[in-house]
Amino acid sequence: MNTESRKKALRYFFEKVVAPMGFKFTPDAELADFLLEQEVILETKHGIPFCPCQPLHHDRSRDMKIVCPCIPFHREHFDEIKRCWCGLFVHQDIVDPDSLPQLPPHEVGLE
Amino acid sequence: MNKKFVRAMPADEVAPGGMRVVEIDGHEIVVCNWRGRYFAVQRRCGHMNAPLDIGTLDGKYVTCAMHCAQFDVTTGEALSGPVPADFGGESPPANLSGYLEHVGMQMKHVRTESISTYDTKVEAGWVHVAL
Repeated sequence: MNTESRKKALRYFFEKVVAPMGFKFTPDAELADFLLEQEVILETKHGIPFCPCQPLHHDRSRDMKIVCPCIPFHREHFDEIKRCWCGLFVHQDIVDPDSLPQLPPHEVGLE
Repeated sequence: MNKKFVRAMPADEVAPGGMRVVEIDGHEIVVCNWRGRYFAVQRRCGHMNAPLDIGTLDGKYVTCAMHCAQFDVTTGEALSGPVPADFGGESPPANLSGYLEHVGMQMKHVRTESISTYDTKVEAGWVHVAL
């Protein structure tokens, strides 16, 4: 299967999921392209496009929480840091994703 | 071999975003309407032959209802294979479990192939498909 075609399809499907939640693809096109490519690789291997920055636990209930876009499962944290962990998605008002600090949950008052 | 356009169905019977199956000369074909343009693909999924018309068309992407393999209806290209099965955390009954394991072993060797597409044109309110 063709990686570029799959990346376009994932982009199409993900856009529809993240937009109603107030997120968009990162304006960093190179990063978005790289992360989508990693997801295609993971999907080819596992059948599911897991988040490329999180480890798989081989425990379905945990692994399902890192299927991209994983925003619904970690939304409180992502809303605080205005991005998802890997940076594929950012809040819709973000124009400079590099300015966003990556803070763990306990540093933003969660957990 | 020259292809010949044959009348498939009235164009207004497939609304934008919709798809409908038609059989012509032994060919099972799904006609899809994407943004007012008509695309025709083989009815059978490139994974395990399930009928794609009972799946979902979202944009130009059709998802098979059986194992969720996805295809681009404008090119027929296979975009993804089956999604792994899940029993919602419950173990299937022992007798079924063995069967499923057997099926799973066989399915590992099933490739997801791209599907055939057919040229289309609309004439006098009818979708024509080239065979």
